[in-house]
Amino acid sequence: MTAFEILNQTETSKKTEAASPDPRSALPTNPGGTFGRLMRFALANIRRRPERFALSVLGIALAIAAVTVVRTISTSFAITGGDSVTNAIGSHAIWVVPAQGVTYSAATGALVSNGPPSAITLPAGWTGTEMIAGAWHSPHGQVAVYGVAGTAEGKAVLSAQLAQRLGVSDGGPLLLGSHTVTVAVRGGSPALTVSPDLAQDIVGNVGWWVADEPAIDHGRNDMGQLFGTAVGLPSTQDPAQAPDKNGKGLVYDTTTGSGALSFAQKYASAFSGQVTDSTLGLISIIGLALGFVIAVSSFLASVQERRREFGIMSSIGLADEVLYFFLVESGVVFVAAWLIGVLAAGVAVWAVLPHLATPVAWAQASATVAAFLPAMAIVGAIVPVHRLLQQRPVALLAD
Amino acid sequence: MLKYGLAYGLLSSRRRARQMLLPAITIATGAFLVVIVFAMSAGIKKQATALGHADEIGHAIVLIAVTVLLVGVVEAAVATTRTIAHRTRELGVLGATGVRSRPVLVALLVEPVVTAFFGALGGAVLAAVAGAVLGAVGAAESGVSASGTVTGLVIAVAVSVVAAAVTSVVPIWRAVHHPPIKSLSAS
Repeated sequence: MTAFEILNQTETSKKTEAASPDPRSALPTNPGGTFGRLMRFALANIRRRPERFALSVLGIALAIAAVTVVRTISTSFAITGGDSVTNAIGSHAIWVVPAQGVTYSAATGALVSNGPPSAITLPAGWTGTEMIAGAWHSPHGQVAVYGVAGTAEGKAVLSAQLAQRLGVSDGGPLLLGSHTVTVAVRGGSPALTVSPDLAQDIVGNVGWWVADEPAIDHGRNDMGQLFGTAVGLPSTQDPAQAPDKNGKGLVYDTTTGSGALSFAQKYASAFSGQVTDSTLGLISIIGLALGFVIAVSSFLASVQERRREFGIMSSIGLADEVLYFFLVESGVVFVAAWLIGVLAAGVAVWAVLPHLATPVAWAQASATVAAFLPAMAIVGAIVPVHRLLQQRPVALLAD
Repeated sequence: MLKYGLAYGLLSSRRRARQMLLPAITIATGAFLVVIVFAMSAGIKKQATALGHADEIGHAIVLIAVTVLLVGVVEAAVATTRTIAHRTRELGVLGATGVRSRPVLVALLVEPVVTAFFGALGGAVLAAVAGAVLGAVGAAESGVSASGTVTGLVIAVAVSVVAAAVTSVVPIWRAVHHPPIKSLSAS
């Protein structure tokens, strides 16, 4: 063979190699990769038993709706609680409540005191004031009245919303009991602020103390203890702790102290806990547990019906993939249920609790409920598949 | 023909009593809550008043208790889809031998309805007993209302039975109208 023939043969061989197709190109393309394939498999299975999918989604969605409604109420309470304590005590470091405690008045939208301010004398160096805080029965419903030192005599400070409710305007007169005061519209507090003497005349001697530390004690994290020892009252940083009814009052340290949460945040949390720890919270948790039972029961039925299919997969070494199929299917069920459930909860809240819940509270509650879903979806898928994979492939194929 | 369908459904329900246990328990749980909420409405109202917005929270408690009952009932419908899957060939035989669809539909509806009825009744009776015991030992401060218990029982049973029939009818309808040849050849 001449050199030319050898060269020619090599060229021909190269051409043949270039012309032969890549065997991988013969395989079907899989858009979306592994997840896409799992998703298509899950959707195919859903199409196989659409009623069961719809019923599972319906059951879980109802459970999610129940929990979302309760969480919406508790979140609204948290927002209300945080705002009400900020409106009541502002940025003061110490809050001294009477032995009778303080209550959130839903009718006024503000905190009011149940007893007279504690009989204390401010320790040397501390600044503070007694505040009157009670409910006034106005012709337009109950209104919280705060008597704050420094407010001009004959003047009432109120928010635009409250002014509208009372039918008064900025600079106009307001008949407060037997007193006529001039209205000043500013701020967003739900309480009407007047001078302490006038407030006491209107709502009686009910209120609390607020105080601030001397400059030398700035930054200490035992402010409540320091103040409490000085005035002879117990102190706490926990807003959930109520004063002893037979005592003289309780000192709340509203500084962050050694914790990460502010006093308003802790107060909000205690406030929302009233809902989640109530009958409402208990019933909704039972509902969620039943929703989970539905999910597991539905997946168990699905596993039972597809034993042969999974037997084939297990026998060719695809046991782990069975779990992935169910994880994706479970994810689809729970995401669909969550979407329907939170939307249903939004409608229910809007129809049944229009004054109690806000869209912000509903959105926060929906996000909170979404945090439960991954765990429920994973456990809901693992329980039936674990039972399946404990069996030998031949046993699955034999049925 | 309908009475034969009913009798056939009752007989097969007896045979499948064990499979009906889980849905009966979930329905009983929901019914228990509904009856307790109605029986102890005074105490719950007091709690709602303490939270403020007494009326709205009171309505929310009833709404959520009924929702939980419906969650329990849906499990009965899920169990019905399982029953249908198990009995596909049987349905094929019935269809192939000329049995009309309506008695078969009634026969299959018996199972969820019976489960819902007995589940709700069991849960409601348990709640009434629990309420009576709590009232007797003084654990229910605001008392247990007899009329509330009866109202709760009627609502729990009625809602369960109607909801079980409504949620189960679609999968049963589809199964009954499946061509017999396909049902018989199903694996």
